[in-house]
Amino acid sequence: MFHGKVIDASTGIISLDKAQEFITSEKCGASLFFIGTVRNHNNNKNVTGITYDSHDAIVEKSFKEIFDEAVQKLTLEHPCAFIEHTKGYVPLGGISIIIAVAAKHRSQVYELSRYIIEEIKKRTPIWKKEHYDDNESDWLKGNPVIDTKK
Amino acid sequence: MKIKIELFGAARDFAQDDFLELALPTKSNVKEVRENLLNFIQTKYPDNKNYLEIVKRSAFANEQNEIVQDDYALSDQSKLCIIPPVGGG
Repeated sequence: MFHGKVIDASTGIISLDKAQEFITSEKCGASLFFIGTVRNHNNNKNVTGITYDSHDAIVEKSFKEIFDEAVQKLTLEHPCAFIEHTKGYVPLGGISIIIAVAAKHRSQVYELSRYIIEEIKKRTPIWKKEHYDDNESDWLKGNPVIDTKK
Repeated sequence: MKIKIELFGAARDFAQDDFLELALPTKSNVKEVRENLLNFIQTKYPDNKNYLEIVKRSAFANEQNEIVQDDYALSDQSKLCIIPPVGGG
């Protein structure tokens, strides 16, 4: 089972309750919740918030491809994943991403969760513009997208 | 021919709108789009090396939401998205 979506912060909110409801299964003995939040510092600057930009269609396609790859590459039983990423402004402490996964055993959920977040960082078209306490803001440099089908 | 490039991430700062329109020779491909964009940046923002670096390190996606390579052929009224280096999570 899989769910992946971009949530616009101006109209919606990503929620742990929704994630938990989605991944709960009597077949799974392990669940893991990864939550990304906006921290107060980066590169020696005081961060007050982050604006996330996203190519929604490619992001949602990328989430599904990453999950499908994980299912192929890892040894998982009854894998389930819920991935939501915020788009728009997220204040300090706010949640930018939830990756909730479930599977039969604990080792499987740790592997699955780690695989998903690391691949998102490498190839999913989401961008961060950090805002600082001196009223400046800056796009973070990021990683060039690799075409995994090449 | 004319093509439209939708801007994302740091590339949004290239223009006031969320897109750029480029005039290119017929049968141009993505490699020529990148070269054209580099010329655009050098003309409009001559001192901005950061923008040049963004264009050099960006990928491009087509209307089917697929990442396309330098040899991907374009036609009149084609649309591309520029995908600068990513960093979500």
